[in-house]
Amino acid sequence: MMEEKIISRDDLLKICKDVIEKGHTLLSPGIAEYNVVKDVSQIKLDASALPTKTSYKSYVFPKAEPVLYYKRSKSDVQLIDVNVDGKNIIILGAKPCDTNSLNIMKHLFNWDYSDEFFNLREKHFITIGLMCSHYDEYCFCTSIGLSPVSEKGSDIFLIPLDKNNFALRIVTEKGKEFIEPYSEFLNTVDETLSRQVTENVKQPEVAFDCKEVHEWLGSNFENPKWEGIGNICLSCAQCAFVCPVCHCFDIVDEDYSYTEGRRMKNWDGCQFGNFTLHASGHNPRDIQSKRYRQRVNHKFRYYVDKFGEIFCTGCGRCSRGCPVSIDIKEIVSNCKD
Amino acid sequence: MDKQKWEPKIVAFVCNWCTYTGADLAGTSRMKYPANTKMIRVMCSGSIDPVFILKAFERGADGVLISGCHPNDCHYNAGNFHARRRWDFFHELLDFIGIEKGRLQFSWISASEGKKFADVISKVTKDIKALGPFTDYQKMNSEFTAFFPEETAEDHEVLNKVEEIV
Amino acid sequence: MKDLREHTRELLEKGEIAAVIGYRQVSEMRTKPVIVTDPADAEHLVFNEYCLNNLAVYLTKARIKALCRTKDKTLKLAITAKPCDVHSIVALIQENQIHRKDIHIISFNCHGVVKDFGCEFNGDNLASKCITCETHKPLYFDKIFGEEKETPKASDQALARIQELESMTHKERFEFFKGEFDRCIKCYACRAVCPLCYCQRCITDKAIPRWIESSSHQRGNFSWNIVRAFHLSARCTGCGECERACPADIPLTLLNRRMAIEAKRSFSYVSGRSLETPTLVGSFNEKDSDELFM
Repeated sequence: MMEEKIISRDDLLKICKDVIEKGHTLLSPGIAEYNVVKDVSQIKLDASALPTKTSYKSYVFPKAEPVLYYKRSKSDVQLIDVNVDGKNIIILGAKPCDTNSLNIMKHLFNWDYSDEFFNLREKHFITIGLMCSHYDEYCFCTSIGLSPVSEKGSDIFLIPLDKNNFALRIVTEKGKEFIEPYSEFLNTVDETLSRQVTENVKQPEVAFDCKEVHEWLGSNFENPKWEGIGNICLSCAQCAFVCPVCHCFDIVDEDYSYTEGRRMKNWDGCQFGNFTLHASGHNPRDIQSKRYRQRVNHKFRYYVDKFGEIFCTGCGRCSRGCPVSIDIKEIVSNCKD
Repeated sequence: MDKQKWEPKIVAFVCNWCTYTGADLAGTSRMKYPANTKMIRVMCSGSIDPVFILKAFERGADGVLISGCHPNDCHYNAGNFHARRRWDFFHELLDFIGIEKGRLQFSWISASEGKKFADVISKVTKDIKALGPFTDYQKMNSEFTAFFPEETAEDHEVLNKVEEIV
Repeated sequence: MKDLREHTRELLEKGEIAAVIGYRQVSEMRTKPVIVTDPADAEHLVFNEYCLNNLAVYLTKARIKALCRTKDKTLKLAITAKPCDVHSIVALIQENQIHRKDIHIISFNCHGVVKDFGCEFNGDNLASKCITCETHKPLYFDKIFGEEKETPKASDQALARIQELESMTHKERFEFFKGEFDRCIKCYACRAVCPLCYCQRCITDKAIPRWIESSSHQRGNFSWNIVRAFHLSARCTGCGECERACPADIPLTLLNRRMAIEAKRSFSYVSGRSLETPTLVGSFNEKDSDELFM
């Protein structure tokens, strides 16, 4: 399904205002992170902004969330379930590299066990994507099959036609359901207008071919290159935590008193030395080079083998924020030489 | 919370060789002092890690007292000298983060100073009472308290049982 | 630049050093750390106002130390360090993590660096540590390059911020830090980039007993950030790498700077300035003030 309409900026903000008044959560990109919008005047809808420092995955997969509470009584342990509130979250102006993130994560959270926390939140998540007109040296969405005008993952996709008007494409059923009450704001439009914009948009050059990378990784597990990267990498998990698709988590119990406590699901990162440390003391990924190799392999090989999708959106956040400037795009595109 | 009824919870980390023995003396001499302080005996004031204090605040303490041997009296020669420098920084840091200086107090009490022990405890209790409940840190437990509203009599029974086992 | 490359190439060829920890240009306004072991690679080395990383962090890494060990002897390790990074090296030597004789310090007359990659070098984009910097010439070095130049002028906003915070009430300050720490995602980038966070096993990684909760909720974030700042008090040399690395933009240097002010005020001590003096928290003086104690 694909319907294209035109909407003015003011009308779009009117919709936002209504959404907030209805009690839904509205997110919009700021400089560092996606912020909860309280006042519609904060909304910028700037297609030329770079991706925020952190992605919006924390709204579907929080950095620390309780999964159950427990209470010891005289004879046994009582478990108390946590209810996830199915509050609608609407994200306005998501980058095309971010919009596909939930679709990629969905595979893992529904693989051998269906994660009800993720699924319920994802069900109530409405993504309004915005075309992207600017890229920097770290962007590589085109290399992994997305593009600055990709609608993949968006429920509604916006394309700025001029300063005050957007072409609004309704991509999914969910998007249609959301926009239906506001149909008074939508007008018909000549589709060639938006096509002109999307065809002329600046796109980062394709830096590598995913199939070739997949092949190279398969036969270069012991390549000395990993050691070189491992010497530089400092083992923080900045790359994993700002990544829109990285989904590793750790389960810990946290007590409140002798008799009460809860079980937490916290973000974890594969670059930490403790990540694979066994209780016996053995650590299969004991040195940094093995950990970085795992990161690249997971993104471009294991996930592809398992779920048929590349575990990356090409947003370049990990490279942009890396304290020692390790650039995943550079590593992957130069793997062969 | 009713301010009249409210009684502060104070945790005291005391050194085995001086202050704890001093507290013993205060007890055997039948001196009277407020009962708000729960004492935790450690081997030396130099062996108290600041995380102990943070944990105490996390678990609802309104104030913390740290007490050890007088300078030059340390059983391990220099434990309290090292501690003295460290606490200066920790005290300033907590103050900068927004925890009143009165919440964390320090003293040197020797084994023969039973009277001083009783006086210090009275003074700390009075100070913390004046500062009121330390809700800033306790508010961070709100997710828990929503699930576990109040300690019941049954909880106490379990607690006693656990303490017996420990 | 040519001198730097020639000097390191010579050292590597002579076999006096095992490796050079240096900077490599990756784009016009960005450099990255590089470890050079092959004399031919010395041509990549650069030094300019975009060399932000504090490379002293690599000196304590086991994998880097391993590069220096040959069958019969231990080779030296060369490091290119800004004058402020030399402070970190000094602090590491003071704390017995490395030996002065094992390190070949190549330093520069520095006139400041930018606050982040991709910023143009001028008074507006100067890193905050450079504004108050008093050591444009390194205190310790084996080889020095570059000419003395003036640092662009800028105002010390960090100090103004500390003073502003100190004029607030405790409650307001607590709320301020609560808001800041709330964003922490516990990626531990602040710990990873810090040259003085060299513990083999960090206290926050210890699970039994769990003193610092690993969850990045308010309580866990408070205890982590307080303990981090405390462990660095009177040790932090003020390189500001933690704040630069933080993906959540938490003003970590406010805490470090405040502790440095305390060290200076109460003990007239500045970290990482002298190889002869012992570290402040690793030593004591019987005459220290007893003011705090009843």
